[in-house]
Amino acid sequence: MFENRAIGVALVLPAALFAAALFFLPVGILLSEAFRTETGWSAWAYVEFFQSPRNQTVFFRTLKLAGLVALVSAVIGYAAAFAIVNLPPTSRGRMFGLVMLPLMISPVARTYAWLVILGRTGFVNQFLVNIGLTDTPFRILFTETAVFIGLLQLFLPLMIISLVSAMENMPRDAVSAARILGANWFQVFWRVILPLTREGLVIGGTLVFTGSMTAYITPAILGGSKVLMLETLLYQRVTVANDFVAASVIAMILIVMAFSANILLKRIATARKTR
Amino acid sequence: MSDYVSLENLTLAYGKSVAVEWLNLGIRKGELIALLGPSGCGKTTTMRAIAGLLSPKSGKISIDGRDVTRLAPSRREVGLVFQSYALFPHLSVFENVAFGLRLRREKDLEAKVMAGLATVGLTDFAKRMVPDLSGGQQQRVSLARSLVMQPKVLLLDEPLSNLDARLRLEMRSELQRVQKETGITMVFVTHDQSEALALADRIVLMRDGVIEQLGTPEEIYNTPVSGFAADFMGFETILPDENGGGLAWRPGAVVLGQGPHRGEVRGASFAGERREYVLSSDLGVIKADVPIGRDTYAIGAKVAFDLPRDAAVPLARFR
Amino acid sequence: MNSRLSTWLILGLTLTFLIGPFLIIIAAALSAGNNLAFPPQGLSLKWFIKVFEIESFRASFGVSMFLAIFGTLVALILGVPAAYAMTRYNVPGAEFVKLIVSSPIIVPGIIVGLALLRYFVIPLGIGIAPALFLAHTALILPYAVRVVSASMDNLRVDMEEAALLLGCTRFGAFRRVVLPNIRGGILAAFILGFVTSFNQVPVSLFLSGPGIRTLPIDMIAYMEINYDPSVAALSALLAFMSIAIVFAAERFIGLSRYV
Repeated sequence: MFENRAIGVALVLPAALFAAALFFLPVGILLSEAFRTETGWSAWAYVEFFQSPRNQTVFFRTLKLAGLVALVSAVIGYAAAFAIVNLPPTSRGRMFGLVMLPLMISPVARTYAWLVILGRTGFVNQFLVNIGLTDTPFRILFTETAVFIGLLQLFLPLMIISLVSAMENMPRDAVSAARILGANWFQVFWRVILPLTREGLVIGGTLVFTGSMTAYITPAILGGSKVLMLETLLYQRVTVANDFVAASVIAMILIVMAFSANILLKRIATARKTR
Repeated sequence: MSDYVSLENLTLAYGKSVAVEWLNLGIRKGELIALLGPSGCGKTTTMRAIAGLLSPKSGKISIDGRDVTRLAPSRREVGLVFQSYALFPHLSVFENVAFGLRLRREKDLEAKVMAGLATVGLTDFAKRMVPDLSGGQQQRVSLARSLVMQPKVLLLDEPLSNLDARLRLEMRSELQRVQKETGITMVFVTHDQSEALALADRIVLMRDGVIEQLGTPEEIYNTPVSGFAADFMGFETILPDENGGGLAWRPGAVVLGQGPHRGEVRGASFAGERREYVLSSDLGVIKADVPIGRDTYAIGAKVAFDLPRDAAVPLARFR
Repeated sequence: MNSRLSTWLILGLTLTFLIGPFLIIIAAALSAGNNLAFPPQGLSLKWFIKVFEIESFRASFGVSMFLAIFGTLVALILGVPAAYAMTRYNVPGAEFVKLIVSSPIIVPGIIVGLALLRYFVIPLGIGIAPALFLAHTALILPYAVRVVSASMDNLRVDMEEAALLLGCTRFGAFRRVVLPNIRGGILAAFILGFVTSFNQVPVSLFLSGPGIRTLPIDMIAYMEINYDPSVAALSALLAFMSIAIVFAAERFIGLSRYV
């Protein structure tokens, strides 16, 4: 550590000021909009927002989908991560790279693919019609299911990466030791793997949950205006109705959720160490 | 003879916690002095203050008559061999050693660098890169890098701790040789009393930020001034006497087999030319060394022992 | 063995789910027909060629490139000193500063874009283009700081101290000792920032105007009126570009070490 604090402050200042001015200020003002009325400050706008049944639907739908994506990605993630970790080192690296590949592709492209697959004349429907399971094509696009699938594909790699990293930090022979002591696979997972990878699960879960909550492109393309999520609702309120108060309310909700998830994450991560 | 390096009323702190308090020390020119003590005693802090990497809270540091207390490290003409060697991984051995000389734009750079490498016996390694070198070689490069600058004082942070036993002995004689050849004033920091005893002209034994005892290796080894010093120097049995002082015995001075005290053998190990015993007694834990050829004792045996008064070293302070 | 089979099964299914759709896009883009469908009706490269002919795609590609390159550059100019200061100095309120600098990640991009539009562009009369540039830079800044900080953490302080004792000034020590050794980290941050900015959509949603559109936004707009496979072809091309960049980075500087 160097002593001259003044230099330290001077080096950090440009970045901090930049972030503060460009970011805190405008966003802060936006958030305050919801509290301002003609007569002063109040939180009425929030009450009003939640009174509308449509808004309630959107809010709970966003929560529900985000939670579901987090849950399902955890289940699949553990299976995939465990498989990856048990591969020989060369295959492991390659597999890891393959899992990370989708992350480098624009979300627009990734979501777009589902249009092709889930559309009325899309791959899935053609398949179902061809094998005679149904006569008329299912409507999959613009349903919650479509959004769910899109989000899952978007965020699953993040969960897998978190879990692989957590599993690599497990003591090497923990699983073998448990099996020698007589545990079956379920017990091994529940009593050994899960507790030891808790941090990775929380990190991955938070990333996936926050990401899904604050997603725009996927709900926009796969859900359209039939399946609104919080961010697509925000965009709609602003562009269609110039309703900045609603935008501010939604923005606050999103930020509070993302922020709390982050705090929760840090809390759990550090709590682990004092155990 | 006035002191070449002098620390006056030096107080050093990290934020709120005081590491060294009101330290006074004079180091003579050409001397090899050791700062010895357990971790946390302030020896490394003191060394860093001399180098200029830590500003004193109060007090004064002078080198060769010049007050350097407020002077930046780059201007003090002090060299420091870091415990981690701190070599520059992106530069070759030659460039590492040449680094400071280049900054000074010194003439005859190549000659000086090669001379420095010759001093530490690494002339063939000039083109190598740092990661290709062994630990001992890296340390010698670090030493050469400091030496070519011809500093007024050379500081060494735990120079022998990272080396294996054989390298340690080699490096010890290496350091002594360099010091005799160059006559440079050397200060080294260590927690290992045998290193300090072997290398130093004088030893500064430190404890909790103050000097516990200052003297030649013989003085400190034979006449420790307190229980702490005695314990550090290998006197395993230390007992208080009536006036706040104490008496200390080396394991070899304890007599087993006869005497007024009783103890039970808890541990026994063979150490080549002697057997080392650990006894529990109502005087506490006693360690006794018995030369080979005398009676042996099994674990659990009850044994009489004596702490002869004339084999004890008197201590001015018990604590 | 049973577990061998199940390992490959799980991985196979997962990878199919993750990468399959992308392969389908490529196939759809190779269609000789005029509709977006899979399997494609006939094979042809005509859509890939068409992509280059569409004027607005060319323009928005330029915009995205500019933002990605120069936005990341500015983010690094701001972020490298900040990362250095935070790891080497006991900056007061370090936690707070870390929060400020990483806050753009926590706040959804769409809110940043909207806020900038409403309080910067409209009232202050700042053009959309500068606002877009600043928004992208602000979004990349946290990544720059984080990656460079990680590099700095791996660099021992005593190297700089050694340089100081050998006669360097503070800045000299930074230039001669620190910079050469965090080069990889800076490059990694650049690539990460580039890819993030290029693929970023929400922040650009509100900050678009005539002639100022990022490529992803342009693609979405195009998709709303045209149903041909050109977007598929463009997606495929962009994906190849991203993958190629990251692979090159991994080959030449071992990108994975820094992220």
